[in-house]
Amino acid sequence: MSTAHSEPEHANAQLHAHPNYIQIWGILVALLVVSVCGPMLGIKAVTLITAFGIALVKAYLVAKNFMHLNIERSYIVFLLVTAVGLMVLMFGGVAGDVMDHQGRNWRNLAAQEEVNRALAGVAGESGAEQKGSTPGPAQPVAGAEENFKIVCSPCHGEKGDGKGAAAVALTPKPANFTDPEFWQTRDKAHIEKVITLGGAAVGKSPLMAPFGSRFSAAEISALADYLMRLKQ
Amino acid sequence: MQKPIATLRSATGIPTGRLAIWWVIASEIVIFGGLLASYIMHRIGHPEWGGYAAHTNTVAGAFNTLVLLSSSLSAVLAHQAAEGGDGPKAARLLRLTVLGGAIFLCVKGLEWTHEIREGFTLTANGFWTFYYTAAGLHGLHVLAGMIILLFVAADAQRNRELQRVELIGIYWHFVDIVWIFLFPLLYIAK
Repeated sequence: MSTAHSEPEHANAQLHAHPNYIQIWGILVALLVVSVCGPMLGIKAVTLITAFGIALVKAYLVAKNFMHLNIERSYIVFLLVTAVGLMVLMFGGVAGDVMDHQGRNWRNLAAQEEVNRALAGVAGESGAEQKGSTPGPAQPVAGAEENFKIVCSPCHGEKGDGKGAAAVALTPKPANFTDPEFWQTRDKAHIEKVITLGGAAVGKSPLMAPFGSRFSAAEISALADYLMRLKQ
Repeated sequence: MQKPIATLRSATGIPTGRLAIWWVIASEIVIFGGLLASYIMHRIGHPEWGGYAAHTNTVAGAFNTLVLLSSSLSAVLAHQAAEGGDGPKAARLLRLTVLGGAIFLCVKGLEWTHEIREGFTLTANGFWTFYYTAAGLHGLHVLAGMIILLFVAADAQRNRELQRVELIGIYWHFVDIVWIFLFPLLYIAK
């Protein structure tokens, strides 16, 4: 490609007055300093404004002054806004399901479990640091209740009465652990077997999934104890 | 060598090359926007990620932001020089921009080395997966931009294809804007 070809094309571009780029750079750097210092105050609202509000301002300054969007053809701006709009549309379409871990007739067990495990890990670390010791024997019982809430309650209900959110769609209906009649024909070993191998292993609903690979024997035992205490 | 006629056509009101780069930017907005939107919604759904983010190096992130903002300045000054017909000056400024990109990637490399040694790998948890994916994709764009900048600088040095100085500059500023959003998302919000 020769100079003769390039010059007319460059001349074809809209020549424009250039702002003081160094001054704009100075403003951008000052904004950067504010965005780093603001969150140090530890106030959530200030962090959000200084971190993300200033990011928007910085992006605007770069787009306007460095990319010259302010003097670009308006359809280019529409093109870019459309792309941003598609992003917002995607966010609006799926964010509700991703941000909430439960809704009407559904629960994201894996996400709930991850959050609980991580937060429990953080609490355990800080508790151990404070007390200088490991948690006491009450821990397994608390774990069983937590496991029940995460794994069992979607079908069997928060109270274990078989009226979980997913029960509506299940046939046969999930077991009611609060019913004394239910316990007349079942003991702890039977419950442990169902939790470990699933409902199909005892001739019951295959929709009752096996959890033998998910929980340890101690956890399954604690969970069975917890279920037996639900009897009214 | 004969130039394709499309590069001189102006039915759109702007040079075709510039229109093309805007299309690239629009598609990049969808790529990075989708990734960052996914990160934001997961971040809101996982309060524990704030604890993971506490392990990122804010000083390194802030320094890299300064480096990219400065490299954007040299890129736009190169564009100004090119418009004035001073190809060699534009080339020098473009190479300065490449230097900024190189410093950025070096700092990123040091950061990642430290974090991986600490056990914060790509598969450690969802936060680190997003961290390496978003910063990695951005890093690849920085690397690609540096390579193109060197080609454009080589032409500009001989006062050739000076219109490309503006085009690569637009791309580079976009890469800068992506980092402007990545910095608070990955480093500041803890």
